[in-house]
Amino acid sequence: MTVRDTILSRLREALQQPHLPFPPAHSEPLTHTERMTVTHVDGDIWAQAHRFAQELHAVKGSCELLETVTEARLSVVSRLQLWLEEEQAARKTADAERPEDWDVLCWPLDQLQIEGLPLILEEVGFKLIQPTDLHDPEQRERIRYVRAGITTVEAAFASTGSFVVGGRGPNARAASLTPFRHLVVIPFSRLYATGEDWLAQMRHAGKLDAYLRHSRNLSIITGASKSADLEGNLTTGVHGPKVVHAILFDDLQQ
Amino acid sequence: MQVDIHAPYKDRVNQALSDPNLRVAVSKATDRMTNARLASMGAVEGQLLRTQVRKMKEHVLSNWPDYLEQLETNLTRNGCTVHWAGGIADAQAIVKDIALQNSANLVVKAKSMATEEIHLNHALEQAGLRVVETDLGEYIIQLADEPPSHIVAPVIHKRLEEIAEVFQEKLDMPPTREPTKMTSLARARLREEFFAAGMGVSGCNFAIAETGTICIVTNEGNGRMVSSMPRVYVAVMGIEKLVPTVEDAFLQLQALCRSATGQQLTVYCSMTSGPRQQGDVDGPEQVHVVLLDNGRSRMLARGYGEALLCIRCGACLNACPVYQEIGGHAYGGTYNGPIGAVISPALAPEIAQFKELPHATSLCGACREACPVKIDLPRLLLDLRSDLVQEGASPKTEAWGIKSYASLMNSRRMYENLGKMASIGSNLYAGMSGGNIKFMPPPLNGWTAYRDFAPFAPKSFREWWRQRSKMRGQK
Ligand code: SF4
Repeated sequence: MTVRDTILSRLREALQQPHLPFPPAHSEPLTHTERMTVTHVDGDIWAQAHRFAQELHAVKGSCELLETVTEARLSVVSRLQLWLEEEQAARKTADAERPEDWDVLCWPLDQLQIEGLPLILEEVGFKLIQPTDLHDPEQRERIRYVRAGITTVEAAFASTGSFVVGGRGPNARAASLTPFRHLVVIPFSRLYATGEDWLAQMRHAGKLDAYLRHSRNLSIITGASKSADLEGNLTTGVHGPKVVHAILFDDLQQ
Repeated sequence: MQVDIHAPYKDRVNQALSDPNLRVAVSKATDRMTNARLASMGAVEGQLLRTQVRKMKEHVLSNWPDYLEQLETNLTRNGCTVHWAGGIADAQAIVKDIALQNSANLVVKAKSMATEEIHLNHALEQAGLRVVETDLGEYIIQLADEPPSHIVAPVIHKRLEEIAEVFQEKLDMPPTREPTKMTSLARARLREEFFAAGMGVSGCNFAIAETGTICIVTNEGNGRMVSSMPRVYVAVMGIEKLVPTVEDAFLQLQALCRSATGQQLTVYCSMTSGPRQQGDVDGPEQVHVVLLDNGRSRMLARGYGEALLCIRCGACLNACPVYQEIGGHAYGGTYNGPIGAVISPALAPEIAQFKELPHATSLCGACREACPVKIDLPRLLLDLRSDLVQEGASPKTEAWGIKSYASLMNSRRMYENLGKMASIGSNLYAGMSGGNIKFMPPPLNGWTAYRDFAPFAPKSFREWWRQRSKMRGQK
């Protein structure tokens, strides 16, 4: 008998014991109708966006809520410029200007649903790094010191200020992980009141199972990387981004 | 003073009690986590959440082998490799072989109780590999060469100045107690390791059977790093860490985060369903999942299956007055606190290997109230004590004492006479030592080692009652 078969048959034998105190012989699964939604959010999409901002703020993130895609485009550019200035000011040394300061690790920008963004970013001087294979030593080295990353999301949850990023195809997991600052672009069409709402819609559409499988990796992110391991002192930016800034914009009007 | 986890139980406890830093650090942190949990569970329908997570987990355990098979099928379909490990040696050999086959000389690890349980670091180091813990707390205790002392906060026993000393000694950090500077140093050092590592290892907070997805929950992002950056990723999971559906996973995630740290959600929940495919920019080329039994099936058969509901949130440790006093190392095993006192003996081949642990409790019930899956830990501890007696593992004097106590309680005359004698004797003795008894002979000296013993009342309650009734009758 293999180890696998031994383990499984031990479990089956144990469960057949007549007086086993636990688990109960018949226990039903939780059904979709009875399963609770843990945190509730009411109101229209703008109320949800405000709640998202409030929750993200509570977990050391920051957020802008914008009415149009044009505003979102300008906001992305000015946020990156602001970060660049902050980085250079913090360095305070002779090499305050480094060419790699202009590097931004990003997903293909057409996915951000902000038309014209790559063009304007490049015009301003940013260099958009879109690696194709991060196991290639050269490409890996290229992203090592990149300080900012831009991604969009699969979904965002107002109730907890969380967002879901995927990791397949051209969407590098690293873009939301290795840089010191993460800029996340969230169109209203991907904002849900709660995580439970998103799952229910995916389940209803019959997509949930296949979606999760084919994603290889999904991460639910709620705020800036942090730790309280130093005797309860909260420190941020332990391994993931220290700065998480979300730009939410209304794409539903268009 | 560091607690020597290989010392006998009583010595460990004494070492812990004589360390003032430990008590300050542990009670400060456990109070903070308990308050956060109460606020977080109180902000939602916390009781309903506990009931539902328990129901879901009970259902999993009732159908345990079927869900394991479903998980295995789906993981395999997603391109992961599934390994089954009966015990520690199997599990160590599996992970070691994967590392050696892939020439992964450097292994980065995320915090995981399952890998602590199988002493994985030691086994990999013996094979000549370098293993680096990447959770900040685990990194600190690895540098200090200590085991973790709490399920979710491994370095809870150390104060900031002690951690600073470790960093100065092991990382050549200039003297500072500035948490931000210490964190930046750790980030920089560990970033080098993430980029250089050939293999990442983590535990698994839960695995989704319907999709074949491994979920790990962290606040720092090291879980995402170890499961994304190296070419090979290995998750070691206890076979009970199962949930049936994605929705169940999201429910359990919220119960876990709220109970562990009082957060609505931790910063990262990383869900891996398979290795990198053609066209993916990053992610591991191989994903291995080690399904670890190591006594879990035995625990079910022995009647301690309820403890398998545990989602390792640590809330029972934070609520426990015994844990707050002695910290985690005094328990001597991988798992500590009330849940450790149950599962260390219940998982072991012989319950008697950890025969003191079922007594490391005041049976106050605070752990049961804190537990997000409502495990009746005090009852399980009593069951273990009873099993220890049945197996003849408890001391003979204890069995003899209980028997004598039973016959005493069955005879009113004996009970009253003994009460009288105790009252006369204790008052005489107390009179000689100035009011209270300061020393008693063995086996009662355990009491007077830490506190005085008040003498028995001159009159027993029965006597007092009889006299009172007589006087009333006379009126
Ligand atoms: S027994 Fe309950 S409270 Fe303790 S760690 Fe497990 S789930 Fe948490």
